[in-house]
Amino acid sequence: MVFSSLLFLFLFLPAVLLLYFVSPWRIKNLVLFATSLVFYAWGEPIYIAIMLLSTIADYSFGLLLSNPKRSSTQRKGIVVASIIINLTLLGYFKYADFLIQNVNSLFGMQIPLTELALPIGISFYTFQSMSYIIDVYRGTAKAQRNWLDFGTFVALFPQLVAGPIVQYSTIAEQLRHRVVNVELFAEGVRRFIIGLAKKVLLANNIGLLWNTVSSTGTESLPVLTAWIGIIAFAFQIYFDFSGYSDMAIGLGMMFGFRFNENFNRPYTAQSITDFWRRWHISLSTWFRDYLYIPLGGNRNGPWKQLRNIMIVWLLTGIWHGASWNFLLWGLYFGVVLVFEKWFVLKLMQRMPAWIRHVYALLLILIGWVFFAFEDLSIMGAYLAAMFGVNHQPLWNNESLYLLYTNAILLVLLVIASLPKRQHETGFGPAIQLGWHALLFFMSVAYLVDATFNPFLYFRF
Amino acid sequence: MSKMTDRIYVWGFVGLLFTMSVLFFLLPIQPFSNVENRTLQKAPQLTWDSLWSKTFSDESESFVTDHFPFRNQWVWTKSMLEQLRLQQENNGIYKGADGYLFEKLSVPVYEDIKAYTAAVQLYAQKHPNTNITFMLAPTSIGLYPERLPWLAQAYPQNEVNGFIGKQVQDSLNFIDGFDFLGSAASADRPIYYKTDHHWTTYGAYLAYFAYAQQMGWTPVAEKDFTIETITHSFLGSYHTRSQFIGLEPDSIEVYKDKNGIQTNMYIADTDQTVGSMYDPSYLAKKDKYSYFLGGVHALLTLHSTLPAERVELNKILVIKDSYAHSFLPFLTQHVQDIHVIDIRYYNGSISDYMAENGIEDVLMLFNTTTFIGERNLLKLNY
Repeated sequence: MVFSSLLFLFLFLPAVLLLYFVSPWRIKNLVLFATSLVFYAWGEPIYIAIMLLSTIADYSFGLLLSNPKRSSTQRKGIVVASIIINLTLLGYFKYADFLIQNVNSLFGMQIPLTELALPIGISFYTFQSMSYIIDVYRGTAKAQRNWLDFGTFVALFPQLVAGPIVQYSTIAEQLRHRVVNVELFAEGVRRFIIGLAKKVLLANNIGLLWNTVSSTGTESLPVLTAWIGIIAFAFQIYFDFSGYSDMAIGLGMMFGFRFNENFNRPYTAQSITDFWRRWHISLSTWFRDYLYIPLGGNRNGPWKQLRNIMIVWLLTGIWHGASWNFLLWGLYFGVVLVFEKWFVLKLMQRMPAWIRHVYALLLILIGWVFFAFEDLSIMGAYLAAMFGVNHQPLWNNESLYLLYTNAILLVLLVIASLPKRQHETGFGPAIQLGWHALLFFMSVAYLVDATFNPFLYFRF
Repeated sequence: MSKMTDRIYVWGFVGLLFTMSVLFFLLPIQPFSNVENRTLQKAPQLTWDSLWSKTFSDESESFVTDHFPFRNQWVWTKSMLEQLRLQQENNGIYKGADGYLFEKLSVPVYEDIKAYTAAVQLYAQKHPNTNITFMLAPTSIGLYPERLPWLAQAYPQNEVNGFIGKQVQDSLNFIDGFDFLGSAASADRPIYYKTDHHWTTYGAYLAYFAYAQQMGWTPVAEKDFTIETITHSFLGSYHTRSQFIGLEPDSIEVYKDKNGIQTNMYIADTDQTVGSMYDPSYLAKKDKYSYFLGGVHALLTLHSTLPAERVELNKILVIKDSYAHSFLPFLTQHVQDIHVIDIRYYNGSISDYMAENGIEDVLMLFNTTTFIGERNLLKLNY
């Protein structure tokens, strides 16, 4: 199930809210756990077994770790076992076919593909439950003895399928003690509506523009159309994903949870370093805390740091999908970040803000080209079109048509990407209430007539 | 935010969710949507199989969307918002000048087209003694490109038709609709409906005129028909898909015979014979074009009582899409028995059918959109 569907909004959600709020406190987690399983099984009736397997394994490993009599070798063994199980699940279901294809084409072999569909959310929940085991091992969190609380942590439906990746330490306390009051629930409603509107009104509609451009042959793409296209994609993926995170955070609040923020106006970044502090924060934090720092971070000299950055970014890339373009995408950001650390950031500090901004946006947009095309030759041709190397005119009638028919939407997208200003919070409560009601009303209208409602992050 | 405002948020939101879900269960279920002209999703059946295979969850999602309270008003709202933001298209339909809607023609997949033309060629080769004509009708976007929204680009449909013609013209008689409709496109009389994907009866008449000439018959002049307007309130399939607001409905004309020809229509699908090619009951429905022949049937035959001197052919087989529906009445002026197969729905062997019925003349009539996108054309291979 996805949040941006009528079935979720008007049948599932009211049912869960009703069950949750009439239940006494001691079975509230049971309600959440059970409804989360329904939520997951709705789209993946079979793969729910994999999620439960990963959950049960890490619950048991946590208990094993909590025994004070374990030697440090045993403790290490337990962590390694947990990581192996999670990465094996992830590897088998997400990367096996990619690996087989490459082995086949490299050695001319005919190993049959597994042709398994990717279990929804596997990249998110495996990371989440690994964070738990590592936290317990490090002693930054206590092992969870209650299986229901642990199951609720992993399966909690607001964040189950697409994050934010909630680290165990963030909500360990909230699993036992949380208060839902009118203020928090109302904040959750506002947050949810904003997220829904981002997804349904902004992302889906600008996604249609990207579809039009990306299905035009790259050889006949004028420069302007190519840029309009990749800008459309940049907006689509941001509002799609941050909209989903907003909905998750908002739903969490309705049940008394406070998740960490996942986005912070990423397109206002002034460098790529800055961008990655603002984009998919829960993922970059995860890689920083559980990979980069354990590898030594920046503590063992520039060469080790270079190695660590490249490892982290190659893995960040491939985490996004089992395909060469994602690896390339990660590599690209790794290289840019190394250059920024080396001298670019110092250079940029002397530049006016608008140059820093243009610099960052340009690199981000080029990054999205790597991200958007799995076929490397089409990717190359698209880049060529952006820079006029395909000898097409700067623009044609179609570019202008796409531009004026989406002009209003593009202006709205730019405004929605800017930092929160005074005017947003300065309006009176009546105006804000009207605004949220209008957004919700319009989102429902678009959902009822939805012929196009993809969700980009489901492949991860 | 004050506590009061927060209360409004909470109870407003929760109240709305519950109200809509209660209404959803209370309001009666409509099996068919007149506005959208389609059967709506039936209530899903919960079984282990449907649960396991995800059909239950997929059908439930469509069920909720299809029967959502006030569905038409929501769809209308979305369409209005799209127009407010200067979007010139909705669900693949352009809103053009003079109230014309157009279906977007995207870049065709020439590989697919070649497979279809190869099927046509093979079919012609298998029937060397049959006189086969293939008429390919453009859709409105091909003939009224100047009515497209400002700066909108359509893929040139005449190139597609030319390409198809080049592939098949050596194996059979090919008539390209651009040749007989092209000069009429600039005149005032509409050859296409504004809100529907079909040609008008006048457009069909021009097609008949071209076909009659090709067959060496004398076409019946327009003045020898009684032209009646049977409805002024036709909002067709383009309206259905786009749901644009503020459209002017089309009129449908019918060319009634003055020569006292009686035509009986036998519908094989339902084993029924009716005494007319027209079904007025559709004039009260959304899909008014189905007035012609009573809509789509896999197989039907038209038998006309023609005076012997008017009979040009005893029988003909027409393999067609729905463009033929307003065209076929003209053929009854010359042909006694017209066998009509809709290749999209007919599942028998066409060659067998021809052998059984002694067919020596065949007309294939398709519009370009059907031809380039209809996998069922490959049935011609069998």
